[in-house]
Amino acid sequence: MRIKLRYFARYRSLVGKGEEELEVPDGITVRELIDILRERHPVLKNEVFAEDDDLADVNVSRNGRYVRFDEMLEDGDVVALFPPVSGG
Amino acid sequence: MLSERELERYDRQIMIFGTEGQEKLKGSKVAVVGVGGLGSPVAYYLAAAGVGTILLIDEQTPELSNLNRQILHWEEDIGKNPKPLSAKWKLERFNSDIKIETFVGRLTEENVDEVLDGVDVIVDCLDNFETRFLLDDYAHRKGVPLVHGAVEGTFGQVTTIVPGVTKSLREIFPNAGKKEGKFPILGATAGAVASIQVLEAIKLLTGLGEPLLNRFLIVDLAFNTFDVVDLR
Repeated sequence: MRIKLRYFARYRSLVGKGEEELEVPDGITVRELIDILRERHPVLKNEVFAEDDDLADVNVSRNGRYVRFDEMLEDGDVVALFPPVSGG
Repeated sequence: MLSERELERYDRQIMIFGTEGQEKLKGSKVAVVGVGGLGSPVAYYLAAAGVGTILLIDEQTPELSNLNRQILHWEEDIGKNPKPLSAKWKLERFNSDIKIETFVGRLTEENVDEVLDGVDVIVDCLDNFETRFLLDDYAHRKGVPLVHGAVEGTFGQVTTIVPGVTKSLREIFPNAGKKEGKFPILGATAGAVASIQVLEAIKLLTGLGEPLLNRFLIVDLAFNTFDVVDLR
């Protein structure tokens, strides 16, 4: 299935683009998608998503709605990834 | 009751929410927690709008590298006047009809109840999630709305927490860790996000429009994107 990814804030800078389309296995979860992205964009794996290899610091929306990592994706979904920024 | 002078001063916004709205602002107390990049324009616009009492909370003193964004602090304040006092001096001269209260110090579990007592809306202008969660807990314990904002670079986010109605900050950011230290930031980004936070506070206080309840606004001003994510 095909999904559209959108990257926000420093994810956008790290990946070097704001969005991309991706062919992924049918029925994967958000967590599995993130694993795919860490392989595809090592810069995210190393610098952003994780310390201690967990999903430390990423927020995900699916078709404009905030989702948990165990939610299953469908063909045509738009998935946005944004970090919790903390500056004030 | 609004004085003749107040009716004239706030004439253009009374056109939006009426004298009733203006009286609500006058009778309200809003806490600005963190008087830095977000807190400066937040306090400035709350004062401009005529919010009757503004409580400024911060433990720091301005540094030269703060001045690209912390517009209530001037060169003469560097290393001298703690941020709440520096801001109070300007705001009192800007609007003598309102009251500026200050707390110079860090919010802790021990003092938060006392410091924020009587506040109608809290505006989160902090730079760390540790203290944000302290505000989140207080907001839920006391049923006080909390306007969250944060910035980095040209990016910013805003959402409004209303206990019993919306998710809490802890639920939205279950994994937000400690990330203190130097982050990139442009003053205009802080100004844009701060303006949205002030609108949230004014919407909560006057009933104008629809606050960002269970909705999370993310903006990237370098790429002209404004997105609202549904948090439900």
